[in-house]
Amino acid sequence: MPLLDIRNLTIELDTPHGRVKALERVSLTLNPGEVHGLMGESGSGRSLLAKAILGIGGHNWKITADRMMWNGENLMDMSTKQRRSLMGSEIAMIFQDPISSLDPAKSVGSQIIEAMPDNPDIPWWRRGQDKKLNAKKWLHKVGIKNPKKVMGSFAWELSDGICQKVMIAIAVANQPKLLIADEPTNSMELRTQAQIFRLLSKLNQLHNVSILLISHELDTLSRWSDRLSVMYCGQIMESGITAEVIETPYHPYTRALLDNIPDHSNPEYHKMMMETLPGSAPALQHLPIGCRLGPRCPEAQKRCVAQPLLCRKKNREFACHFPYHEEPCYDDTATKS
Amino acid sequence: MPQVNIYQEDDIPSPMRRIWHAFADNPFAFAGLWVVCAFILLAVFGPFIAPYSAEAQDPNALLLPPSWDPAGTVDHFLGTDDLGRDIFSRLLHGAHLTFGMALGIVFASLIVGFVIGAISGMMKGLKSSILSHLLDALLSIPSLLMAILVVAVMGPGLSNVFWAVGIALTPQFIRAIHQAVHEELQKEYVTAARLDGANPLQVFWYVIMPNVWDIVIIQTTLGISAAILDIAALGFLNLGAQAPSPEWGAMVSQGMDNLLTAPWTVTIPGVAILCSVLAINLVGDGLRSALSPIKH
Amino acid sequence: MTRYLLRRLNLFLATSLVLILVLFVATSRFPVEHKFALTGIHSPTPEQVAQITADYRLDEGNLSQFTAYLQQRLSGNLGVSATSNQPVFDELVQVLPASFELAGVAAILALLCGIPLGVLASLSKNKITQHSIMAITLTGYSIPVFWLGLTLSLWFGVELGWLPISGQINLLYEIEPVTGFLLIDTLLSDSQYRMSAFTDAVLHIILPAITLAVLPFTVVVRITRTAMLSIMEETYIKAAAARGLQTSKIVIRHALPNALIPVLKNMGLMLGAFSSYAMVVEVIFAWPGVGAWLVSGIYQRDYTVIQGGILSVALIIIFLSILIEVMHTAINPISRKEMYATS
Repeated sequence: MPLLDIRNLTIELDTPHGRVKALERVSLTLNPGEVHGLMGESGSGRSLLAKAILGIGGHNWKITADRMMWNGENLMDMSTKQRRSLMGSEIAMIFQDPISSLDPAKSVGSQIIEAMPDNPDIPWWRRGQDKKLNAKKWLHKVGIKNPKKVMGSFAWELSDGICQKVMIAIAVANQPKLLIADEPTNSMELRTQAQIFRLLSKLNQLHNVSILLISHELDTLSRWSDRLSVMYCGQIMESGITAEVIETPYHPYTRALLDNIPDHSNPEYHKMMMETLPGSAPALQHLPIGCRLGPRCPEAQKRCVAQPLLCRKKNREFACHFPYHEEPCYDDTATKS
Repeated sequence: MPQVNIYQEDDIPSPMRRIWHAFADNPFAFAGLWVVCAFILLAVFGPFIAPYSAEAQDPNALLLPPSWDPAGTVDHFLGTDDLGRDIFSRLLHGAHLTFGMALGIVFASLIVGFVIGAISGMMKGLKSSILSHLLDALLSIPSLLMAILVVAVMGPGLSNVFWAVGIALTPQFIRAIHQAVHEELQKEYVTAARLDGANPLQVFWYVIMPNVWDIVIIQTTLGISAAILDIAALGFLNLGAQAPSPEWGAMVSQGMDNLLTAPWTVTIPGVAILCSVLAINLVGDGLRSALSPIKH
Repeated sequence: MTRYLLRRLNLFLATSLVLILVLFVATSRFPVEHKFALTGIHSPTPEQVAQITADYRLDEGNLSQFTAYLQQRLSGNLGVSATSNQPVFDELVQVLPASFELAGVAAILALLCGIPLGVLASLSKNKITQHSIMAITLTGYSIPVFWLGLTLSLWFGVELGWLPISGQINLLYEIEPVTGFLLIDTLLSDSQYRMSAFTDAVLHIILPAITLAVLPFTVVVRITRTAMLSIMEETYIKAAAARGLQTSKIVIRHALPNALIPVLKNMGLMLGAFSSYAMVVEVIFAWPGVGAWLVSGIYQRDYTVIQGGILSVALIIIFLSILIEVMHTAINPISRKEMYATS
């Protein structure tokens, strides 16, 4: 049974330009123990998806979905309170900007302790001490050398990398089943980036935490994730086992992304035109109908004004009327809707 | 590769138009603007519309209640005070004193504050910090205390109110403009302009000022409401406008003797002050929220 | 940190010096005999004249006169009041506690009502609640305090007759001053009417305190609301929500401490307006505080009282505003960060 199974999630935002479908019919399946990469340009709705999973949407959001199953329970049917307690114990998230994700007015230690659950086996007067020890232990586990000093400091006194490690420590202190990492290494040095990714994959292997890794760097994702989903403009384009997707992309968008990666082995490369799709990603108020890649897609035809449904073939999923390497899925539902 | 534009062009309104739309969208602020305009007109033309002169006493109509009261008459729309003076006419004459003078004081101190604040904001180091710290000190002296000092030296009177309130207001403007200019000066785009070879005057006027105007505007509205309240408070304490003057605060204090028998002599000028300050605050509030989304 | 504190202390001394200089210049411009303005002695004997000339070095240069003036004032010699012939310093000691009592009660009232209402206004999704809270605060912010005081005393004091409208306590009670704060003194006194005196003092303080609390209350509500609105959008609040904390817990533990920082800062900026209002309120409710004393001093052209009152009130306000700034820096992690960066 998949850990998280989302079918046709649509998020509509109320903006000054009217109601906009920021996410349209997004489906995502996450199995226990896997690192799932979610690839998308900035503005493609990756963070919206993450927040929708956690249920911390803004007040102008309208979320609809066919189903959103967490371990066999439907998240859509839960009350806010149930969602919150689920998040506290089973799902955790780390954010793009670790420093501003920590309360500036409180010491780091008190925030870790706050996130930890009460241990009912220990008498209440010793719980504080116990939590403190635990917090130190976790900080040590995520690779912080002097946990005591870090616990007494404030977020702005620490570096980006350490803050992100603290955030990870806070996130995993509850031993969650799923960790959502929204661009965890944005604007960090390469060395720190590598540390963080290594830490995440260690957590994945040792503690069997599933990770939803959100990023815009295809090479990072191809290195660290088991499965990969590619998103464009709030629609899922393609998803499958990372190696296979990279090897034989079915979707024109994935192919375009792969073509974007500079090929330094060719000495004449720097004199060649860089391969890109024409134009740029549309603004929220000018989203095209049907397949949103349509106006920029090299393979686009008349039929693309109807949104292709996600089609599942041999462990791969893709949403395109004219995929490469494979006969399209001629589900009649796809063309009718 | 040529840039392909496949989406329709977005019409981006100019900042001024955007502010105006945001402001006009707020009905309260818009209503406030109309009331402020009405008060400005009254401050200029009030004495001409007033049915009686400010000091005209009608011995046959002492302490007449307002016209909606059964005992009131339409001749004296808002009633009369203990000397038989028509309150409505006095309010109209007083608009010139309270509201008009507040505007005058605010603009005078705004100009002084703007010049000093801009100069000190553009300066760096010790001179700037001396100026700004001294301003902190001046700012912390309450306006009423300042007024008492001015009155002690020059004696009470309406012209001294000008100095008292003006001296109390100026540091606020200096400080706000100083801080705004100083903050903008730290930003990268100013450095960029300087590297392009702009001299300090050009940096100030073309680069910094467009980003400081909104603070000047907000401070002005705050200043006007503070000035009205201060002028009225001084009039009330008999430190500003003196007895027969139709200044609104002084009218409240003159009505105090008859508070129990004729409460309208106190209520009506009070409501006039409240309305004018409220209207200005509504406009200021609307402006602030209209300006803020651009900042962020 | 020590360097920062020293700089603030320095600032306090410098501004106080400037203030005394302003007073010194003003004193020489008072439209009366200079010696009278300095000491408040109406018709001094020749010995007194010689004493005054020696004390204030009136026959020397301006600078020397100023240092002498500074010496006299700082040693607590504020002259004698021309109306009561009491030393101004003694009168000041009598009236200051009453003012502190009134201001303190009003400030506590404003904070206790203002912060929860501000939080409520920021969290409420209901447009009507939001708009009505904003309408109330805007009106409260625009209301002239003297008119509000008169109206309240007319309604609750005269028409309904619920509350006394003048003075600090019924004159029938004889309370031995210990701390100067009547609310405490009544409880400390050993008279048999202790409790009734206390309730009487409480009843007396209600109306003036409410009148005075209106301005800080509205400011606190507005600042709290704005701060809460922006803080609730911050990532660390989202992160706390993602950690599974309940909304109430997030507000109390994370949002409120951060929202109170700008409230504290604005309290410092508000001190001047607050004390102006306090003086007017004291005059209206005949509260025996420093404001009423100062205003009666100006009516009677009692120049020593004016000097002493302005000096003490301004010094207290400068001190408090610097104190609030130091507290703000101590609490606010962001400004501490800036200090690290600069020093």
